[in-house]
Amino acid sequence: MKPDSQVRMCVRTLLTASALACAAGGATAQSAGHWMVKGGFNGIAPQVKSGDLSPPGLPGSQVDVKSANSVIASAVYMLTDHVSFEAFIGLPYKHDVVGAGALSGVGKIGSVKQVSPTIFAQYRFMAADAGFRPYLGVGLTYAHFYGEEGSGALTALTNPGGPPTRLSAESAFGVTLQGGLTVRLNGPWYLDVMVSKSFIKNSTRLSTGQSVDTKLDPVSTGLSIGYQF
Amino acid sequence: MKKNIRIWAFSAAASVLLAACGGGGDGDQSAKVKYSTLVTFGDSLSDVGTYAVSAVAQVGGGKYIVNGANGKNWTELLAKQIAVAAPCAAQTGLASVIPGIPAVAPSNHAGCTSYAQGGARVTDPVGPGNINTYPADPGGALGQLTDPLINQINRHLAAAGGSFKGDELVTVQAGGNDVFMNLGAVSAQLQTPTQAVTAMGVAGAELAAYVKNLIVAKGAKYVVVVNLPDVSKTPFAYTLDAPTQGLIQTMSTTFNAQLAAGLSGVDVLQVDAYAQSLDQAAKPAQYGISNGTNPACDLAKTIFASSLVCTETTLIAGDVSKYQFADGVHPTPYGYQLFAQFVSSKMIAKGWL
Repeated sequence: MKPDSQVRMCVRTLLTASALACAAGGATAQSAGHWMVKGGFNGIAPQVKSGDLSPPGLPGSQVDVKSANSVIASAVYMLTDHVSFEAFIGLPYKHDVVGAGALSGVGKIGSVKQVSPTIFAQYRFMAADAGFRPYLGVGLTYAHFYGEEGSGALTALTNPGGPPTRLSAESAFGVTLQGGLTVRLNGPWYLDVMVSKSFIKNSTRLSTGQSVDTKLDPVSTGLSIGYQF
Repeated sequence: MKKNIRIWAFSAAASVLLAACGGGGDGDQSAKVKYSTLVTFGDSLSDVGTYAVSAVAQVGGGKYIVNGANGKNWTELLAKQIAVAAPCAAQTGLASVIPGIPAVAPSNHAGCTSYAQGGARVTDPVGPGNINTYPADPGGALGQLTDPLINQINRHLAAAGGSFKGDELVTVQAGGNDVFMNLGAVSAQLQTPTQAVTAMGVAGAELAAYVKNLIVAKGAKYVVVVNLPDVSKTPFAYTLDAPTQGLIQTMSTTFNAQLAAGLSGVDVLQVDAYAQSLDQAAKPAQYGISNGTNPACDLAKTIFASSLVCTETTLIAGDVSKYQFADGVHPTPYGYQLFAQFVSSKMIAKGWL
């Protein structure tokens, strides 16, 4: 193949792609009956209020759960020009669990993974084709915890010299409030920034028979690139 | 294209859900510090079998605990937690004159670094159960060796070439037998209560000096010094009158004050067993303790009245698995576990576990 024919082929490919984009772009507004998908990054910062670890143990033994980041994806369906539904899912987050209260200073005692699929009902302000569209949402979150790992510290604190202490975090439903903004980019592409707060309580059990109740109430902040059909 | 993206989104969601099915695990169980061995200096609370000879061994005894498969004291639990060899008694023997418990001459065991001995004091070589207390104290008939801490430390230095390597976990714990001997002298009117309290202060200061000059200055980097629990919060002390209990408490606090003062500025981990003993006595339920005032061992069933020869076949009736005390002063396996947890929490906070 000659160099100039290579160039011609590239141009043709680009043209075809643009044509496709335009075909979709004919109806790229965030208006009734349309779908949008987005993908991006999300940080989850649990705002933990820990109860005391049940006996036997040092009085006031508590836990804290550290922040974690992950990749998220979501699909939005516009029911009307303003009302939408959004289904959120992310790759797993891995949070460190650290000591708090009487266990302050002991550092990491374990880790837990979670995925928190959420379904939102949303209201989007401004016109369907507006450049900036703020939105508010309320959602139902299922916080699924799994892949819990203990540590030498956890074993030493609960059953020193014994078999490794395992932990098991109970999965839980919670309500999530959301606020966000979409910013139109070129054609069907848009930028989405979002903050949400979930209200989630759960209980974590140890293989020693002890348990600790926690309010996790995480704040999520996300930045995504979306595509509207 | 719309359909393709929906399919893609569905498979992505499905793969996330599948990834979510993985189970949990133990995590990294290793200690933050890689220790070579555990070296213990102390008394009955740390002894792993100095007197596990003769009839004591034959009845399944040897430690001041409920002896048996679960009968591990805090030093043994710590050794397991830091993944070093189980501690073994550096010296064994018994100078008994009790009929049916033949004496066994002391012998030293190379490679064993648990120097703690039941009855050991800080400096004075004659502690409870030592043959030199007999016959004034009938308990001396057992002939415990009671080699004091100063000798224990010097024996280790002699065996180890004069210094520590630096990667040992060293535990130091004493003072209880100085309480018992000084209290005995008060009861026998050989000294005044004030003299007993003063003697405890001297013992505490001496122990601090040994830790500083013979352990830390000799190269030990990971030294856990446990102070004296409140001996007035024991079944032994609960049988005594209030003034005597008060004297015991003052003896305990005076010992601890001098120990802490002498260790000020010395790089060791001081574990406040005194405060912990008060907390456990005040809040037994928080610690899962079903009984903190009565011994779990039926000392009428043992060959002499000590947890040293108490086993699971010589317990009082009922479930004693969560009792704090095995006899008048020594913990049950559960009591030792609670103590090992407490020591562990301090070691973790210091980055040692």
